[in-house]
Amino acid sequence: MHKMLAVARAYTLGMLTYRTRTLVSLLSVLLAVVPVYFVAGALQPLAAKAIASESTEYFTYLIVGSVATFVIAESVSAIPSLINSYITSGTLEQLLTTPIRWPALVGGLATYGYGWVALRAMVLLLTAWVWATSTIAWPRLLEFTLIMAMLAIAYSGIGLMAGALVLSVRSSLFIPQAVTTVSALLGTVYFPVTVLPPAFAPFAAFVPLTPALRAARQILLRDQALALVMPDVLQLLAWAVAGAVVGGSAFHLALQHARRAGTLTQY
Amino acid sequence: MSAPASAVISLRDVTKSFRADRALLRRLRGAPGTAPSAVLDAVTLSVQRGEIFGLVGANGAGKTTLLKILSTVLLPDRGSVTVDGIDALAHPAQVRRKLAVVPADERALFWRISATENVRLFASMYGLSGQQRDDAVARALELVGLGRAGRQQVGSFSSGMRQRTLIARALVTRPPILILDEPTRSLDPVTARELRRFIRDVLCTELGATILLATHSTEEALQLCDRAALLVRGRVVATDTLAKLHASVGGARVRVRVDAAHEARARALLHLPVDVISPAQDGMVMLFATLPDVAHASVVVEALVRASVRVSEFAPVPVTLADLLDAAAVQPPPDEALRHA
Repeated sequence: MHKMLAVARAYTLGMLTYRTRTLVSLLSVLLAVVPVYFVAGALQPLAAKAIASESTEYFTYLIVGSVATFVIAESVSAIPSLINSYITSGTLEQLLTTPIRWPALVGGLATYGYGWVALRAMVLLLTAWVWATSTIAWPRLLEFTLIMAMLAIAYSGIGLMAGALVLSVRSSLFIPQAVTTVSALLGTVYFPVTVLPPAFAPFAAFVPLTPALRAARQILLRDQALALVMPDVLQLLAWAVAGAVVGGSAFHLALQHARRAGTLTQY
Repeated sequence: MSAPASAVISLRDVTKSFRADRALLRRLRGAPGTAPSAVLDAVTLSVQRGEIFGLVGANGAGKTTLLKILSTVLLPDRGSVTVDGIDALAHPAQVRRKLAVVPADERALFWRISATENVRLFASMYGLSGQQRDDAVARALELVGLGRAGRQQVGSFSSGMRQRTLIARALVTRPPILILDEPTRSLDPVTARELRRFIRDVLCTELGATILLATHSTEEALQLCDRAALLVRGRVVATDTLAKLHASVGGARVRVRVDAAHEARARALLHLPVDVISPAQDGMVMLFATLPDVAHASVVVEALVRASVRVSEFAPVPVTLADLLDAAAVQPPPDEALRHA
């Protein structure tokens, strides 16, 4: 943990020097809420019945979906992107000459990204709280965060697999982009499963985002206790365990392969 | 051949091959360059405790590959590697605690943070924390002359300062073994000379570190190394003191500047093989010759003077890496695969 925090500190200090970029990024989150607010307002009469079990207001429904999108985008993209960049600079190889284990290294490098996701998510939720007519169950924020953390772990498995591909063949083969797109379409970010065409609806069950968003919305927007959404939580937990095991194993094997093939640094 | 008892680094029959072209589709088609080529070929050497050992070789000779194997970020195809008595292939984590690497590429630093933070990160990696870590960071930066510049962003540093930051980062835990990969590659001559002095006087003499240094500069190897291995296309062709490696080039090279009018007489009298003749300038001509040994120089000068040959310069010519490689009967230039190393 000590080493992971050291990596997180160094990386965060570096990223915090990009002040303008940080500010612009936060402002863009705020600005992006404006069209969502008006479009959601216009579609509210149409969506109200379909989303009733998760939210009374389509605007907050979309906001929670957007927060989850931040989480999965970070989880699947950050690791391969960082690995690629650090292979190019030689930093990865340098860090691996020290007595740090790869989970601590990857965890440390990913910490800033998740912190940034948390900040943007809070901006979104606060904006929604100010603008929405319905309430947000703030006392359930911790339970909501737990759901998002499990979602992050589930998708980090895919991120680790993409990172493993970068270690092996220097390309993530567009897996992060494909997973983010498919999850957003099937995972109820913009609309519930019931709205999906019958041919696609069964596939939604195989997207970890689906149970995560169902549970997260019921907790935060319908003020439901964690115990009441336990089936979804357990399903998400299974995804998280599978993601951690499969992704972790793939990354570990890829690291061994990279040590044999000499692909830890740019060639 | 077994490593001497005092050997702190020992490599035996270390062999490594790479594919120069890793593109999957071309590999499946069996395109040229996709087959593995040997970058290191049965390398055997040992480094004694407290010495500065040079890995001397041209670009692509396999120096960096060898250092990567030692620092456990690359696995050999065959052979054994022992660092301070630990099998580096079986226990890489233990070996990483024994050594620190100063890479050739300064991009390996975190450029957006200060030198202090860079060094602090590495101190934490080795388990240092709190005041002990902060003291070690300050000491390391002070040692490399960056005590005052420690708070500056590394991105604002000159190449020399970045190189010093890399050294401070490696020194922060006072490892017994230091691996330096072409430490003066991007430095100007004055800074390079200072750094060499620092390596010799501080790192080796004062701190007692064992240093393995890769370089393609014979000047650097001469100034720094107690012993060196000459690496040619992945093979160690000679391992010895630099003086003996120099002797292996087959004599002492000298340049003799004589009156152009006396050139024929000088050559006839001296019976020396003349390698290169430069065009006459200001009535003088420069001859490059190889003497049997340094002691033969006085005989040569005496013979020239006795024959009334006007000599304006007689000086030794430093042995270059090219001379050493020539002496080692180097084959044609390395192929694509070797350039990877």
